[in-house]
Amino acid sequence: MSSKPKIKELLVESACEHNKDKKKSCNAPTPGATTGGCALDGAQIALFPFADAAHLIHGPMSCIGGAWETRLTPTSWAGRDLTQTGFATDITNNDVVFGGERKLAAAIDHIVSNYAPEAVFVYSTCVPALTGDDIDAVCKHRTEKHGIPCVPVHAPGFVGAKNLGSRIAGEAVLQHLIGTKEPEYTTPFDINLIGEHNNTGELWRYRHLLEELGIRVLSTFSGDGRIAEIRTAHRARLNVIVCAKSLVSMTRKMQERYGIPWISCSFYGMTDTSAGLLAIAEALGDADLIERTRALIAREEARLKQQLIPYREVFAGKKAVLNTGGNKAWSIASALQDLGIEVVATSVRKSTEEDKAKARQYLGEKAILMTNPATQQAKVIDETGAHLLLAGGRSLYTAIKKRIAFTDVNQEKKKSYGGYDGLLVLAEDLKNSLQNPVFELVDRKAPWQK
Amino acid sequence: MAEVKRKSGKPLQVNPHKLSQPMGATMAFLGVDRCMPLMHGAQGCASFAKVMFTRHFCEPVALQTTAVNDVIAVLDGGDYSIVESIKNIHDKVAPELIGLHTTGLTETKGDDIRGIAGKIDVPLVYVNTPDFKGGLESGWTLTTQALIDQLTEPGDRIDAQKMVLVPHVSLLPIEVEKLREVIESFGFTVVAVPDLSSSLDNHLGEKQASLSSGGVTVAELRQLADAAFVVTVGGSVKPVGATLQAKNPAIRHRHFNHVSGLEGTDALVAWLLEVSGRDAPPAAVERWRKRLQDAMLDSHFSIGQTRFLLAAEPDHLAAMAASLREVGGKVTLAIATVDSPILAEIDADQVIVGDLEDAENMSESYDLIIGNYHTESLAHRVGKKAVMRGIPNYEEVGSALKNDVLYEGSAYFLFEIANAAEKMREARVHHAREQIKRQGSA
Repeated sequence: MSSKPKIKELLVESACEHNKDKKKSCNAPTPGATTGGCALDGAQIALFPFADAAHLIHGPMSCIGGAWETRLTPTSWAGRDLTQTGFATDITNNDVVFGGERKLAAAIDHIVSNYAPEAVFVYSTCVPALTGDDIDAVCKHRTEKHGIPCVPVHAPGFVGAKNLGSRIAGEAVLQHLIGTKEPEYTTPFDINLIGEHNNTGELWRYRHLLEELGIRVLSTFSGDGRIAEIRTAHRARLNVIVCAKSLVSMTRKMQERYGIPWISCSFYGMTDTSAGLLAIAEALGDADLIERTRALIAREEARLKQQLIPYREVFAGKKAVLNTGGNKAWSIASALQDLGIEVVATSVRKSTEEDKAKARQYLGEKAILMTNPATQQAKVIDETGAHLLLAGGRSLYTAIKKRIAFTDVNQEKKKSYGGYDGLLVLAEDLKNSLQNPVFELVDRKAPWQK
Repeated sequence: MAEVKRKSGKPLQVNPHKLSQPMGATMAFLGVDRCMPLMHGAQGCASFAKVMFTRHFCEPVALQTTAVNDVIAVLDGGDYSIVESIKNIHDKVAPELIGLHTTGLTETKGDDIRGIAGKIDVPLVYVNTPDFKGGLESGWTLTTQALIDQLTEPGDRIDAQKMVLVPHVSLLPIEVEKLREVIESFGFTVVAVPDLSSSLDNHLGEKQASLSSGGVTVAELRQLADAAFVVTVGGSVKPVGATLQAKNPAIRHRHFNHVSGLEGTDALVAWLLEVSGRDAPPAAVERWRKRLQDAMLDSHFSIGQTRFLLAAEPDHLAAMAASLREVGGKVTLAIATVDSPILAEIDADQVIVGDLEDAENMSESYDLIIGNYHTESLAHRVGKKAVMRGIPNYEEVGSALKNDVLYEGSAYFLFEIANAAEKMREARVHHAREQIKRQGSA
C-alpha cells in the first residue's frame, strides 16, 4: 500500500474550528503573488529537529541548497547532530531520464554506513514525484536491509504550502514510527510535546519546570527529539500541541487510535507560560499535581516580576505595533503585555480564524487587527503614536521613516524569547532597541539635502 | 597544475556547497534594474532561493513564483500559471522586466516557455534553468546570455569608448563597482551585465523588494551592441562574449579568467593601457599596485606557511588560488561545486568536484579553510579555522562589500587571510602552552 497521505483528507481537518465546509488549503498559492515555503519546506521544518535521524532530500539542489544548517534547533543528542548535516541525492539529468531509485537506495546505504542514524527520513520532491520514483519501495527495502526505519515523506512542493508539509510530516511519523516500540516504563504524567521544535532552545526554557513537577516528556515532535522516544509516543497520557495548529490532524488521529487527549498551549511570555503549565496539570487531572503547579507558577512569576522591575520603568507608557504571522500575532503580544507594553496593533494576515479571535481577545476592542500590514503599518504608527515596531526585516524601512525603534521578530532570530526566562531576553532586546539612537539617526538629511 | 577529479563517485551530496541553476538565474535577474525575477516552479523553489539571498545579502530580495501546484503540474503547460503570475505582478507593481526562469519541476513536465513568452506582451526575458543540470555559475551565464540575446538590438556601429563588462557570479557587488571604476579611469564608459553593484550592495532604499532596485537598465541592455569591447571575467561567462558579438560582429572580446592578485590585475591593466593608448595608468592604480606589492611581502610569511582548503564556485576558486599562490600559500585542496573547464587551470595541489563531506574526510591536508557559511561548522568539527567567502554567508554582515579583486582588493584579501592564519596558529600555541601549564601543576 502506498504511504502517500491523501492530501484532500489532510486539508479537511475536522478538529479545526473554521474548517466546517472548506475543501481547500488554508493558503492556496496565487501565481505571481505568493510568498512562503512549500510542503517540502514545511515537512523539513517539522522533522529536521530529530538530530539522531538523517534527513535525505531526494531532489535537486534547489530543494536543499540554501536550506540545510539553517534551523536553529539545538539538540542534547550526544552523537553527530544530523539536523545540521545536509543530505541530498542531487538529481541530475540521468536520474530524470532513467529514474532515481537506484541512486536513492545507494544514498541511504552511504548514510547508514557513515553516520549510523536511528532512522532515515526520505523526502520526496517535485521532480521524482513527476518521474514516478517508487520511494515507498526503496524505503521498505532499505528498512528491512538496515534494520532501522527508513521513512518516506511525500511532500513534493507542488502539493501545497508549508502548513500542509508539516501535516504530511506528522502523517509519516504517525504511520511509520509511533507505536512501533514500547517505553521501558510509563508514568501517570507522561506527555508528548507536539509541534515544539526547540527553536533557539525554547523547549529548554520550560522543560525543567515540567520535570520539577514530575511531568515526564515521553517524546517530542520534534524539538530535541529522539526517534526511540517518538516510537513510544502512543503510551502518553496527554498530547500537548505547542504553537502549531498544523498538527491537530496528528493529535486527533492519536486520540482516535490510542485514546490520547490533546490540548494546545503557548509558552511565550509569563501569562501564557503559566497558563500552559496549569493547563497541562489540569488535563492530567491530578489534584496534587495541580496544587504543586500553582505553587511553582507563583514562585516563578514572583521571581520574574522582581527581575522585570527595572525594565517596566523603561517600558511604561510605550506602545508597540506587531507585524508577524500566525499564532505569533497573539503569543508575542501577550509577552509584550507582560512587560507593560501596550500592543496597539497586530497583523492577522497569515493567521487562522482562531488566531484572529485570540488576537482580539488579548489586545482588546480598541486595538487594530491589520489584514494588510505592508500598506497599513505606516499609517497605524502615525495614528497610534507607537514607539516600537516588531516585524520582519523588510519592515525596517517603515520604522526608520517613522523614526521609531525596530525589533526583528523573524524566525531566524538567534535567541529564544520563550518561557519565563525568555521574557527577560525579550525585555533586554526591546530595551536596547528603544534606547538605540540609530533609528532616529540613520534617515537624517544628508548635508546636500534641503 | 593539479590533477582534477571531476566526478565524486558518490550517490549523494553530503553537506553540499553546490547551489542550483535557477538560483544563479535569480541572481542575474536581480542585477537588472526594476526587474521582477519570476521562478517557474512550485512556490518552494522561489522561497528557498529568496530566503537564502535575503539572509545572505541582509536585504529584502525581489523574487516571485508561478506557484505550480499539483493540478497545474499535470494539466497546465505553463500557459495558465505564467500568464496569471504576470497579471498578478502587474496588479501590484510595474516592472521594467519580468525575468522568467524555469526549474526542474517545470522542465520535467516540459513547459514551452519560449512559446508562452511569444504570446505575452509585457517586457519579458525567459531562460531554461532546470536544477538537475549545472549550478549557480551556469544559471547566471545562461541568464546573461538570454538578456542579451532577447533584448539587445543588433547594430553595426561602434562607440570606441564603450565597454560591456560581464562579471562571473561570485564577484561581489563592490567588486563589480571597483572593476568598473578602474576601467572607467582609463577613459572608457562601462556597462556591467548583470550589475549587482547598485542593486544588492547593501544600500538603504525605499520600497525595497517590491522590485530589484538598481542594476543595469533595460534601456542599457537594448543598447549594448555599440560597445567597442566586451570584457568577460571568469571562465563561466566566457561564452557571453560570443553572444554579444552575434549582435554586432565588430565588437571585440577580451577574456580574463580572473582579476585577482598582482599578475591577474597586471594582465587587465596591461590590456587597458593597450586599448586606451595610454602610457601610464591613473595615479590611484599605480599607487594601489605599490600597496599590493607591499601587502604581498607583509603577508607572505604567514600565508607562505599555511595550507589551504578552498571550497567555492569554480571561477571563485581560480581567483582565490591565484592570489594565495603568489605569496606562497599552499593551496593543497580546492573543492569545486560543479565541474568546469577552468578547474584544469586552478593553481592547487588537488582539485575535486565535491562536497563538504569530502572536505571533512581530507582534513589532514589543510590548516585554514576559505569557503561559505557551511565551512564554519566544518572547521569546528575538524579543529581548524574558516574565513567566510561565497554564498551563502549567514554568519557575517557586510559580505556584499568585501573586495578581493584588483590591486586594492587583493591587498585587503591577503591581509585578512594572513591575519586569520596567524590568529589560528596563536590559538594553537596558546592551547599547547595551557596544557603544559596544567600538566606542570598536576
